[in-house]
Amino acid sequence: MSHKTAHAESPVPSRAVPLERLVVMANQIADFFSPYPPARRAEGIRNHLRTYWDPRMRQDLTEYIAAGGEGVSPAIVEGVRLLGSGPDPKGYYGPPKA
Amino acid sequence: MANPIIPDKSVVTTCAYCGVGCGFKAETHQGRLVRMTPWKEGKANHGHSCIKGRFAFDYYISDDRVTTPLIRASIDDPWTLVSWEKAIQHAASELRRVQAKYGTKSVGAISSSRCTNEEIFLVQKFARAVLGNNNIDNCARICHSPTQFGLSATVGWGAASQHFDSILQADVIMIVGANPTEGHPVFGSLMKRRVRQGAKLIVIDPRRTETVESAHIKADVHLSLRPGTNVAVLDSIAHVIVREKLYNEAFVRARCEWDEFERWTEFVSSDRYAPEVIGPTAGLDPELIRKAARLYASGPNSAIYYGLGVTEHSQGSTGVMCLGNLSLACGMLGREGVGVNPLRGQGNVQGGSCLGSWPHVFSGYRFVTDDEVRGSFEKDWGVTLDAEPGLRLPNMFDAALAGNFRGMFIMGEDPVQSDPNQNHIIEAMRQMECVVIQDLFLNETSKYAHVFLPGSSSLEKDGTFTSAERRVNRVRKVVEPLAGYQDWEIVVMLMNAMGYLATYDHAGQILDEIARLSPAYKGISFELLERIGSAQWPCDEAAPEGTEVLHREKFPRANGRGTFMLTEYVPTAERTNDTFPLLLTTGRILTQYNVGTQTRRTQNNRWHSEDVLEISAHDAHIRGIRDGERVKVSSRFGCTELKAKFSERVGSGIVYTTFHHAETRINVVTSDLSDWATNCPEYKVTAVEVVKVASEQTAKRAAKKKREHVVTA
Amino acid sequence: MLWSELRDLKDDVDFGTPPRAGAEVTLTVDGHTISVPAGSSVMLAAAKAQRNIPKLCATDTLEAWGSCRLCLVEIEGRSGYPASCTTIVAEGMAVTTQSEQLQRLRKGVLELYLSDFPAEDVDGGWSEFHTALAQGGVTTHPYEPVETHLSTPVDVSNPYFLFDPAKCIVCNRCVRACEEIQGTFALTVQGRGFDSKVAAGQDQPFFESDCVSCGACVQTCPTQALIEKSLFEGDYIRG
Repeated sequence: MSHKTAHAESPVPSRAVPLERLVVMANQIADFFSPYPPARRAEGIRNHLRTYWDPRMRQDLTEYIAAGGEGVSPAIVEGVRLLGSGPDPKGYYGPPKA
Repeated sequence: MANPIIPDKSVVTTCAYCGVGCGFKAETHQGRLVRMTPWKEGKANHGHSCIKGRFAFDYYISDDRVTTPLIRASIDDPWTLVSWEKAIQHAASELRRVQAKYGTKSVGAISSSRCTNEEIFLVQKFARAVLGNNNIDNCARICHSPTQFGLSATVGWGAASQHFDSILQADVIMIVGANPTEGHPVFGSLMKRRVRQGAKLIVIDPRRTETVESAHIKADVHLSLRPGTNVAVLDSIAHVIVREKLYNEAFVRARCEWDEFERWTEFVSSDRYAPEVIGPTAGLDPELIRKAARLYASGPNSAIYYGLGVTEHSQGSTGVMCLGNLSLACGMLGREGVGVNPLRGQGNVQGGSCLGSWPHVFSGYRFVTDDEVRGSFEKDWGVTLDAEPGLRLPNMFDAALAGNFRGMFIMGEDPVQSDPNQNHIIEAMRQMECVVIQDLFLNETSKYAHVFLPGSSSLEKDGTFTSAERRVNRVRKVVEPLAGYQDWEIVVMLMNAMGYLATYDHAGQILDEIARLSPAYKGISFELLERIGSAQWPCDEAAPEGTEVLHREKFPRANGRGTFMLTEYVPTAERTNDTFPLLLTTGRILTQYNVGTQTRRTQNNRWHSEDVLEISAHDAHIRGIRDGERVKVSSRFGCTELKAKFSERVGSGIVYTTFHHAETRINVVTSDLSDWATNCPEYKVTAVEVVKVASEQTAKRAAKKKREHVVTA
Repeated sequence: MLWSELRDLKDDVDFGTPPRAGAEVTLTVDGHTISVPAGSSVMLAAAKAQRNIPKLCATDTLEAWGSCRLCLVEIEGRSGYPASCTTIVAEGMAVTTQSEQLQRLRKGVLELYLSDFPAEDVDGGWSEFHTALAQGGVTTHPYEPVETHLSTPVDVSNPYFLFDPAKCIVCNRCVRACEEIQGTFALTVQGRGFDSKVAAGQDQPFFESDCVSCGACVQTCPTQALIEKSLFEGDYIRG
């Protein structure tokens, strides 16, 4: 699976990782979770971004998606949506929780 | 007289080279190390050794050792020799200045698997408690970070399930992406003993390594897959095991999450993972995949040992999960002779991983986002800690280029030489305002540093290493530190200079702090190690002398059950095309060690004085390359030159080199792709082209190099 | 299976043959009652009873070989002088490790070895061979050697260790270590009788052979014929 990469001139400035690279990283994560059903896929992505990514990277990605998110996998968009919603569940290893 | 010197003192310590963790007796004569002899009671080596640990120790008294602290205002200035006090003050005030100017998170720290557990633990404490952020990483990032991720996900702990001797009870040995006779020689010898006794051997490796065939050893199955197709092949093996119902249902029902197992069987039994489909993708005969699957599943004891050939891929973590899945499905965990075991490259990679030198976890792989865990550290350390994950090593370089990362403390690592896409890293290093390096020698990275703190070799300090079999071994001071201080003492000085009071009388007190804050190390202390020699974690009330075999009754997961991950094969974006038709993969050789900081300063260079490019005669001939000629290797990222060597170890379409010499600059060529989960670089797959370097060009370049030398001299 | 063979080794003791796991067998050694696992050698039982038997070709990291003829013992009810390294213990066995006849036999063996060893390196040496000489009370030999190995050149090709054939007693320990422990099979014994010699690869210098410099041969050599160069100040000069 491959996705179009983000344009170099992005709508938001990068804080930590260049957006182009951030989108590549995010889409790789989406590729991994692709065999899981949609709800678990989104939750797996949420857990991964929350526990492994520096908050600046998450924020950049969130803002990039808000600004259109060209090239970002739809699964990532779903996962990122869960980041801000509700209480923050504890990080975990293993399969995405249902 | 030809009678040899009689050593007057002998100290039992642990080899600092690979992750096998051999016990040695360091013998001195009048305060000088004269010989290292293997310790018969060493639990990993039982009196055996390899060339590196036994003989290659002279690096510690190399003329290149820096023994006085150095500082400079700019990387274009020459170094100034200064006192320890001045150097520490300078480093402390500069790091604080950078933080004041660019923010708390604009600096970070890197620790090294060459350092002791105590030092690694201190460096992460320095980042978290003193720098006030979680920008802490270590070199396991670029080797075994996927192990931690992939094994934690499936079996619960990112560590070897066995001890090395367990292989003596294995009936089938599966080696994946590792070459133990070169990389982990003492374990390689043990493995060969077992194979000579009749154990079956499966090797999954693109190269026809010595492990595949050597004196009295021949692999029963060698899957010489195309680099980058590990996950496809392992899924295909799983496909065969599931379709032919070769899995151990009783084990899975008793010990694993059945629902996840069912989903996994459904997933891998898909036709897209049939050997007939995967075989052509991976360049393998489908029947060989079937043979490997049947052999592994038949056991009765099958053991997996794997190396960087699994982890250093864009699907590194997925590959490790595949191995976890396979061992769970076939019930190959929880007893002697089975298991899933990473072969760790450096002496203390396991320790580096265990002890929280990661931006997202504290010691014991516990998330920094976990309030309870973080609270326990805050209480012990008396400071409030950052609740958010920090930047990983490659992301620190990214952030430097983005303008948000300006200072680094690097202990015992040379990222400019060892990390991929060298040009990118050099650009990032140039953005830094304060780089503090603690090391034995000036290196590629110190070219971009502002403070150099001369460190101590493992012969010059006290502490512990945790080997690849989770064994905590004692490192003992054999000779006095050449620069005056043990590494942990230097970090303590820096912590104090930055306003955080740290007082330890000896390294054992740091180990006590580790034990206090890390459940798996709870029972480990200098006293215990003095008494019983070594101990494998987990070591606690339930296992006061440690644990040799993990997962005997349950898995260290919330519900105690092992689980299965769905491991879709996603081909790497790094692909061959008309411009770059060959795949370059990298590895190491017996006599040299990693970037060669130590071994290149010993007589080991006599065996391997330069890195060469192994190429099949076929690929060479169609390019007009003769054996021994200099060639240019280029990728989409950069190019370098080295000598070609015809080899039957690599098949057509694949070239291979080692990465021990800085001059090779192979990481100028390697890609910036990395593991999806951990950003472990994809060293093992780079599309390249190889062309002959015209003799005229070589002459020109040599002349130019000569001129440059004259100018800089 | 190897298990006790590796895991029961002790740093400060050389049992002479590999430790075994098995049901206990009780025997006497010089009147001392001792129990050892079945499959153990008489040599190991004696070591456990702290009645150390002199030995050269035996060491507990290698399987018994039985070539040096130094570890001979007397066993009640058996004729002759069996080698203790290759004799397996049996229930009720009564072993004698010291007697005038044994002393005489061992002395004869040691004198033969000594007759083809650089005389200058007897005093001040600290190898297992030197220990055996001391144990046997042997300081000189009665032979007028016609032929010796004292003119055979030293192999200094390996950067880390040297091989001095003049000190080699062809006990095979290096060859066995290379096979059993390291698994490289780089060493062999070539020739027969007096002409037999240890050779690396196809009779090549060590450095050019298949040798991987693991040091197992150096570690096991009882005579310091194979020895670390780091133990010498400057170049090695024989004698």
